[in-house]
Amino acid sequence: MARIGVFICHCGHNIAGVIDVGRVVEAAKRMPGVAYAGDYIYCCSDPGQAFIRQAIKENRLTRVVVGACSPRMHEKTFQEVLASAGLNPFLLEMANLREHCSWVHSEAKEEATEKAIDLIRMAVAKASRAEPLFAKPIPITKRALVVGGGIAGIQAALDIANAGFEVVLVEREPTIGGKMAKFDKTFPTLDCASCILTPRMVEVAKHPNIRLMTYAEVEEVKGYAGNFEVRIRQKARKVDHSKCTGCGTCWQKCPTKVPSEFDLGLGKRTAIYIPFPQAVPPKPVIDTVNCRYMAYLEFVRSGREGKPPPQCRICEKLCPTGAINWDEEDAIITERFGAIVVATGYDLFDPSQIPQYGYGRLDNVITSLEFERILNASGPTGGRILLKDGREPKRVAIVHCVGSRDLNYNEYCSKVCCMYSMKYAHLIKERIPDAEVYEFYIDVRSAGKGFEEFYNRVLDEGVRFVRGKVAEIFKGKDGLSVRFEDTLTGGRHVLSVDMVILACGLVPQRDAGEVARIFKLSRSPDGFFLEKHPKLDPVNTHADGVFLAGACIGPCDIPDAVARGSAAAAKAIGLLSRDEILSEPMTAIVDISKCSGCMLCEEICPFDAIEPQVVRGKRVARVKEELCKGCGSCAAACRSGAINLRGFTHQQLLAEVEAL
Amino acid sequence: MIEEIRAKAADLLRSGEVKCFIGYERASDGLTARPFFAYSADEADRLIFDGTCVHNLARYLPDMRGKRVGILAKPCDSRSINVLIREGQVEREEVYIVGVVCDGVYRTTWGKPSRELQPRCLYCSKRTPVVYDYLVGQPPPAPESQHPASISEVEALERKPAAERWEFWRSHFARCIRCNACRQICPACYCPQCFSDQLDPLWTGIRIGLPQNWVWNVGRALHLAGRCIDCEECQRACPMGIPLAILNRKLASRVKELFGFEAGMDPRAPFPFATFEKEEEIL
Repeated sequence: MARIGVFICHCGHNIAGVIDVGRVVEAAKRMPGVAYAGDYIYCCSDPGQAFIRQAIKENRLTRVVVGACSPRMHEKTFQEVLASAGLNPFLLEMANLREHCSWVHSEAKEEATEKAIDLIRMAVAKASRAEPLFAKPIPITKRALVVGGGIAGIQAALDIANAGFEVVLVEREPTIGGKMAKFDKTFPTLDCASCILTPRMVEVAKHPNIRLMTYAEVEEVKGYAGNFEVRIRQKARKVDHSKCTGCGTCWQKCPTKVPSEFDLGLGKRTAIYIPFPQAVPPKPVIDTVNCRYMAYLEFVRSGREGKPPPQCRICEKLCPTGAINWDEEDAIITERFGAIVVATGYDLFDPSQIPQYGYGRLDNVITSLEFERILNASGPTGGRILLKDGREPKRVAIVHCVGSRDLNYNEYCSKVCCMYSMKYAHLIKERIPDAEVYEFYIDVRSAGKGFEEFYNRVLDEGVRFVRGKVAEIFKGKDGLSVRFEDTLTGGRHVLSVDMVILACGLVPQRDAGEVARIFKLSRSPDGFFLEKHPKLDPVNTHADGVFLAGACIGPCDIPDAVARGSAAAAKAIGLLSRDEILSEPMTAIVDISKCSGCMLCEEICPFDAIEPQVVRGKRVARVKEELCKGCGSCAAACRSGAINLRGFTHQQLLAEVEAL
Repeated sequence: MIEEIRAKAADLLRSGEVKCFIGYERASDGLTARPFFAYSADEADRLIFDGTCVHNLARYLPDMRGKRVGILAKPCDSRSINVLIREGQVEREEVYIVGVVCDGVYRTTWGKPSRELQPRCLYCSKRTPVVYDYLVGQPPPAPESQHPASISEVEALERKPAAERWEFWRSHFARCIRCNACRQICPACYCPQCFSDQLDPLWTGIRIGLPQNWVWNVGRALHLAGRCIDCEECQRACPMGIPLAILNRKLASRVKELFGFEAGMDPRAPFPFATFEKEEEIL
């Protein structure tokens, strides 16, 4: 027979102010199996813990019930008390007398006391059927995978690699650098983005612990924290990077010109290309859709009638090292990792969703990212601010909160647009001193180091700030017209301008849902990935061993992205520096004598933790304990009750119900 | 039809393609049918098929695992076979299914002939088996439910007030003697140890009393939700005449309504129970 000890916590006034603790203790003493019952003002305090420890020893207790707060708060604390008193920590049962009783029934003290007694009775019944549980050590693979080669992913990869662990950095574009590589200057210090980013990119390429996989995508993740098995697709580049020296002959001579994705279609690139001059790796890929020879091959393969397109193959003829390999196909690589950092970044809000702003319909209405390219010295205009017809704009409107802070699109604030909009105003004033710049804002949000100072500087430079949303942008007599409301003076006006820059918000990547599925991540209502706790666990996720960095969590500026990258790296390093991790002992277990092998559990398991096995010629279910999260879906689905959940067994739960 | 079945069964047994052929033979009252297991080609002559062949023979397949068997399957039996294949109790390659076109089976009981159709046949809309390797008989055109009443038993019961429905089931469950005939005859009840036979945890309770009977009967019905193919063998086997099929049919119609799923129609269709969709009607 178990010797159960019951400890009721007053939690100061939180519990004792409503519940008659004395009566609960007296009632507990008469419950079956209870060898000791007592109370303490703060059970979680050091003297409270010592009190429980001593009572366990003096009364030779074998099970412990603590009636206090939610187990989310102090279950670990009291489990450690049991362990230090020589008991298995899983012989603890907590009754939640605070959140489930005193806090919600403060008006009905008598009934609250009755309910508290019932809660204790149930916990006692459950504890009497508790069994000791043991965590198993699992060795871990000391390598990390970083997904996404933007600034956050670069930072995470460098930090993990510098700590001495091997890192594979996977990027789906032909180069790392992400969005930051497209920027011109960065606010508020006006450092040139490339000047600060490219050294980091080169460092990644040169680092002995980092293996860079550009033009590659993660397709499948199996396994668990410490031992993930990841399938990566290396897309065919048709260029053998082990032979290529990056001399540039091929992309200088390639006759096919198509809009450059990197320049957002404002500039051109060739079919064999590097996205921008400082690309890492500085070696090209062949765009198989636009390449002439690939089109010829496709024509021959399809067996169509008529004259085939010309076989170009100029790159192949000119390549001094014979690096062009037309036979290269996508390769599937499967590798094991202990930790994963997801840094897949964001997309820019697509302003063509707001028809009244005319994006895509009206010339010289451009997005913020397009303007970054226009500003950039390596961009389509060589860094000169020009209209579509090649003139310099004299009046520029910058529209804030495009797709942000708007219930029709996204409710959230994208955080960076105010600052980059003011950066644009400053740069326009710097390059075209007589230009008039108008900022149409709802509120100016300049919280950050040096941000408010930058705001004041831009104000001093004579940039006009108009508080009000732009209603419509339309073709005026001379250029563009902006219809807006000035909410400070209360008037409605129309302003003629040459150029409108839409300060588009940040939205989740188009395929964030697919990425979430692959890495088993949750998403918050705005579509960004959900962190484990918004305040106290900002880079962990509910998928153990998978960490988040950068703007895939939510809009952030460069310093935040870098900080998140380092934070995720620190978490990954913390995991990888251990030799083994302990498995969760509260897992499902199959009684194979009751199992019919129908495998409904296998289908229902959200963690792929159940597989069939053959025991003495009979097919039965087997739980892969290292994958099991103890959710209990299988135990509920099993008709013959062959699956039990350790720590929440059928016997324990029925005992609880019967005690009530 | 009978000759074709006998010839096919004899062929299968003679060629060694199956070790055993499960069908029906005439019972000793000379009137009803009983399950028959033919192990040699000679025995195939004892096989029969007519409106007295009521049993769902799929019940015997899980016990035959590991050897190749032939089986005579009415449309309802064929759906049960699909359920068993779906749930890993029967390997498709191990079973040779001789499907038989069925016009319904009778309420014939021991020594009492009848030309009245079994209640299940009135609701049935399948004349041709859904899965077979060899088909006996011509598939009839456009099969339809032959149920004569304008409303089903389920609907009739649902129209009654809650108190009356409660009383209906209370009075029926109170008479249950927990003989387990419903379970033993059910082709979908194949657990090595039924929840109601377990003592730790004691799910059902040992006593044969109303609360315990209630847990058993409701538990049994729930375990068949999305799996029962409405062969109604449980109701036929019940010595106390409890209308178990009403419970089964209600659950099956709910599953169809909510998930568009019918048990035993497609052995590859995902279980409604094990599928999760982000946008699902909240019950």
